This record gives sequence, structure tokens and C-alpha cells, in this order.
Amino acid sequence: MRPSNDVPRPVLPRCAPGRWAEVRRDKARRGTRRTSTRAAAWTSHPASAVLLVLVWTALHAADAPRPGDVLTNSIGMKLACVPAGEFAMGSPAGEKGREEEEALHRVKITRPFRLGAAEVTQAQWKVVSGGRRGKFEGENLPVEDISWADAVAFCEKLSKMEGRKYRLPTEAEWEYACRAGTAGRFAGDKLDDFAWYDANSDGRTHPVATKKPNAWGLYDMHGNVAEWCADYYAPAYPAASVTDPAGPPEGKARVVRGGSWASFERGCRSASRHSSSAAYQLKFIGVRVVMELAP
Amino acid sequence: MTKQGGSKDDSRAGRMDRRGFLAAAGAAAVGLAIVRPQSVRGAEANSKIEIGLIGCGGRGNWIADLFKNHGGYQFVAGADYFADRVKGFGDKFGIPADRRYTGLSGARKLCESKLDAVVIESPPYFHPEQAMAGVEAGRHVYVAKPIAVDVPGCLTIGEAGKKATAKKLVFLADFQTRADPIYREAVKRVHNGDIGRLVNGEAVYYCGDTWGNPTYDTKNAEACLRAWGVDKVLSGDIITEQNIHALDVASWIIDEAPLRAVGSCGRKARSGSGNVNDHFAVVYWFPNDVLLSFASKQYGQGWDDIGVRLFGPRGTIDTHYFGSVSIKGEAPYAGGAMKNLYTDGAVANIAEFHKSIATGKVDNPTAAPSVRSNLTTILGRTAAYRGKEVTWDEMMKAGEKLEADLRGLKA
Repeated sequence: MRPSNDVPRPVLPRCAPGRWAEVRRDKARRGTRRTSTRAAAWTSHPASAVLLVLVWTALHAADAPRPGDVLTNSIGMKLACVPAGEFAMGSPAGEKGREEEEALHRVKITRPFRLGAAEVTQAQWKVVSGGRRGKFEGENLPVEDISWADAVAFCEKLSKMEGRKYRLPTEAEWEYACRAGTAGRFAGDKLDDFAWYDANSDGRTHPVATKKPNAWGLYDMHGNVAEWCADYYAPAYPAASVTDPAGPPEGKARVVRGGSWASFERGCRSASRHSSSAAYQLKFIGVRVVMELAP
Repeated sequence: MTKQGGSKDDSRAGRMDRRGFLAAAGAAAVGLAIVRPQSVRGAEANSKIEIGLIGCGGRGNWIADLFKNHGGYQFVAGADYFADRVKGFGDKFGIPADRRYTGLSGARKLCESKLDAVVIESPPYFHPEQAMAGVEAGRHVYVAKPIAVDVPGCLTIGEAGKKATAKKLVFLADFQTRADPIYREAVKRVHNGDIGRLVNGEAVYYCGDTWGNPTYDTKNAEACLRAWGVDKVLSGDIITEQNIHALDVASWIIDEAPLRAVGSCGRKARSGSGNVNDHFAVVYWFPNDVLLSFASKQYGQGWDDIGVRLFGPRGTIDTHYFGSVSIKGEAPYAGGAMKNLYTDGAVANIAEFHKSIATGKVDNPTAAPSVRSNLTTILGRTAAYRGKEVTWDEMMKAGEKLEADLRGLKA
């Protein structure tokens, strides 16, 4: 086994080129003056065309979505950029609180995506799905008490509202985003700075994004509510390196990731794996969505 | 261990090469098996792990069949104090006459002979010495529970486990429950916080008379050795020898060593031979004031259970070796029924032992927990024997060693 200090470091490229359309949309929403119309006018002169290429390239380099870039969608949900890349999924043999099911293996995420910077709030849930959901009441509290099917349905409704694809993260995407380039137990030094969990939650959820975010601008990955993932749960990880894994084709339970307000420290680790019957509605489990980027 | 003659040193050098081959071949198999498992198996015709059985009695022969059925092992030696037992095992598995070892020194001779791994199924009193002999001889070690009968023995096992890791050897303590995926999932959920901070619970081991009425004569060491299951010292008494299954699960769930215990025990209903008790009742205090009440019996009929039930503010974990495992509460886990844990757990551990050897996985995660749960039984036993409270620290400081009377036995 690899010693704990020899964990493969993740590869951390910027979000891939070609995401220009996405960024432009962000900038347009934020009221910037760069528009395709203005750019088209510049192309009427050859010299301008050269200049345009140079300027476009410079702007592109500056504006391509990078880890930490945030887009706000039509319901006020902030979505952070998660770049394509590789990482070591699981935990090393010596990690405190480790379970056997966390065998280290290399995972490649080939497509960048956007992930909710915070868990879906009760206010956002109400806009999309109607009605209030949650044992704990509060507009800015994370939604919980939802089944896996409820979470999927929320993504589908939001997709129709916005005309773009929202879905649950895969387990690999979730851990990749949670780690945000780190390889230790947590994405930061002190869990209390990043998570609402058993030791500091006072037995309840808290407004989202009130602890520190990880390096990619994602809040509450280690706590507050655990989050449904798309995959069926399988106790054993693949033995070899994998690309864009999506879990087994069938199973009895769905993957749940991240600690919750009720979790002990070991259950909040980046590598810690959970599962639940898809039908269960528990006050520990909520949802965070992926927004797919155009290919 | 002192080096033996030159020829043995030479053979050991050869063995090191072969172990390296096994690790490499096994690692390749892990990768290739995904594509063509049959061709991988064919390529490893000479890669079976050569093992020796120490303790050729009932459980030894039973588990030997499981090792054989795995397909990745080949028995090449056997050791037991009694020649008739070695003969029975040796004849069944085709062990050459010169690889059959008897007497008290048989186990050590087996460890020092040409093989890869040893499987220890002898009376628990001998486990620490034999496990350490195996590690010192450079052998992978598979040892049955309980891993020892006293504090020094437990510490020896702990040391053997660490030494095995340092020598890149696999060391596995055979607890069936810890290999079961449903038990593992349920315990993981408790460790993650699904039922909240544990408050209290219970562990029970209720069964009928396990050993019958073997010939037992304290003036005849060989008779005592054959009837080791009813001998307090050779077995560790029922709380260590059998009830450890329940206390191991409880200490696994609580994930701590107890701080102190108070209890009692007796022998009232047991009609057979021997001097072991037939019931125990112990209360344990764990860190954070977690209370565990433990009760056991080994007599009579009507109710059998190896159960552990622990309560937290948000739920209850309920485990039964011959029943079901589940969590009930705010974050429920349906778990499932144990089908044949006694066999299935051993089969899983045998497979894990092979895989660990083949892949060079030598972190040996079963060693330290087995020591802790074994010491937990000894704390309860000590408190019950004394009829008063005993702390963990007192027990460890005293380091009481049980001494079997081996006079009259052949070296």
C-alpha cells in the first residue's frame, strides 16, 4: 500500500478552453459590455480582425471559467466551476477513521462542470418544486427530508426552467469537487472552520454558506446536510484507474456524500462514503446540483 | 529468531524470491483478472501459497477444507502435539511424513520449515508464542480467535502484528463478524454518527454446552490438552474463548477500550468435565460514560444468541451473529440476515489473507482491534473472578500471566 505521504497529487488544470460561451453568458448577466454584436462589428476591417483575435485571446485567457468562478442562475443559485482533471479517490491506509471501502484509485474527470456552491436551500426548492421541504424550517437552510427521486425531480424541473442540463453529481465528481485539489482528511486544516457537524451544530442544520468554502468556492461539502449522488452504491471501488465513473448499473441503495449536522468527524472526511435506500427521506440528507457545461 | 543451518538459510533466500514472485503475480492477477481470469489462473500454476496448519483438531481440519476450497493455497505441513491428529490431517491432505510435526516444539519446527504462511488453530493458550514464531521465521500468519488468554499474550500478539508489518508479512486475526459486509456497514454508520453519541447497551452470548464431557484429569497433562476447551487456562474460560465474539462486536462498535469493569461468574448448571465457568455477568464502563452490560451462559437449552445492541439518542444498532443486523431510528439501515456467518466469515478472511499476500497489503488492520477486544474479555474475566471492580490500567499494570501445567508433555 502507498504510505500516507505518498498519495498521488491531483492534476489541476484550469477549466478547459472552449467554455467561452459559458463565461460570456456570465459576464453578460453581470452587465459587462462585451457582446457578440460588438465583436462582429470589429471584424469588418482586416487589421481589426487581427486585433480582435489578440484581444479575444487575452480576454479568453482571463475569463475562461476557473476553479472559484461563480455563476448565478435564474433562481439565485450560485454555481462554482469545477475543472476537468485527475485525482486520487479514496483514502490512504493510515488515514484516521478510514474504512476498507475507500481503496485509493486514480480517477479522471474529463469534462469540467459547475457545481452548486452551496446545498439547495429551502427557498430555492420552493421556487422550483413548490412547497416547503425540511424538518428544520428556514428559507436559507438546506433542504432535507427529500428522497433520491425528489432530488432527481428537482434537477429535471430546474433543467426545464432554464433550458440547460442540471443533474445530481456522480460520487466521483462529488469527491473530486470536495477535495478541490487536496489529498488529506478534509479540504482544510480545521473541520470546524468548514463544516456544521456533530461537534458544533447544536443538533440542527444551519444557513448554507456560513462556514468557509473550499479552494474551489464550495461551501458545506463536509457538513450541514449530506447530499444525494447519482450513483448506486457499491462497497468496492474499481481496482484500477477509471475515467468518469458513474457507479454500478444497479444496486440496492444510492450514494450519499458529505457529512451532516449529525456526523462525527470521521463521517465528514473527504473520502467518507455513505449510502441510503433511495426512498428514505431523512433530515440528514439534502441535495447539491451539477450544471453541465456545453460540450 | 536465531538462524539455523546453512541449508535453511539458502532455502530462505529462495523463499524470499518466491514471495516476491507471489506478490508480483498476485498484483498482476488483480489487474488482469478483469479481462481474462482463466488465463491468469493458468499462468499462476506454481503460485499457490504454501501453508502449514498448526493445530490439527476439529476446527483445524474444518478450516483446512476452506483453505483448500479457496484454490490459492496448498498445505505442505502440519503440526499438533498429538501424533494421531497430525496423521489424520496429514493423510487427508497428502502431507509428507517429514513435514508432520508433533510435541510442544512441533509448531516452531513447522514455522521454521519451508513454507509461506502458517494457520494457527491450536488451543488459545499457545497462540501468542506460535504467532510470534511464525512472524520471526518470516511467515505470514493467520490466527484464530481468541488470540491469547492473558495480558502478556495479547501484548505479544500486538507486537507480532507490528513486527509482521515491518517485515512485510500479512497477519490476520480471524474474527468472522469483522469480515461481513452487513456488519461492516452497520458499524460504519454508527461510527459516522447515524445514531448519535452512544449511551449504553448490552452484549450477550447465550448457548448450550459446547464441549460435552471430554476426559479431563488435572493430573494428566495430555488429557487436559485434548480437552482444552473445558480448561480455564488453556482456553481462557468461556468469556475469552467463546464470548469474545459478542465483546469483540461491542468494542468494535464503541471503538474504545473499556476503562473498568465489575462482574461475577459461576458454574452451577454445567454437568460436564473441566473447570470452566458456565455463566458470566459483567458491567463495563467505556470512555464518555458509555455503559455496556454483558451476560453469557454456556449450558442448558432454549435460547441461543450472540447479540449486541447499543443505543444512541437517534437510534439503535442491533446485531445477531445467527440472526440479522440492522439500525433502527432516524437514519435506519435495513441491513440483512446472516446466512452462515461462522463459515462465510472464515471464507472471507481466507480470501482476504490470500489477496493481502498476493498484493503485498501488510497494514494488518485486524491485529490491533483483536488485541483490544481480547483484553476486554480478560478485563471482564478478571473482575468476575475477583468479584469486584477492576480498571483497565490495573489489569495492564499487573500483566497477569496464566500458567498452564505442561509437566509431563513431550517436547
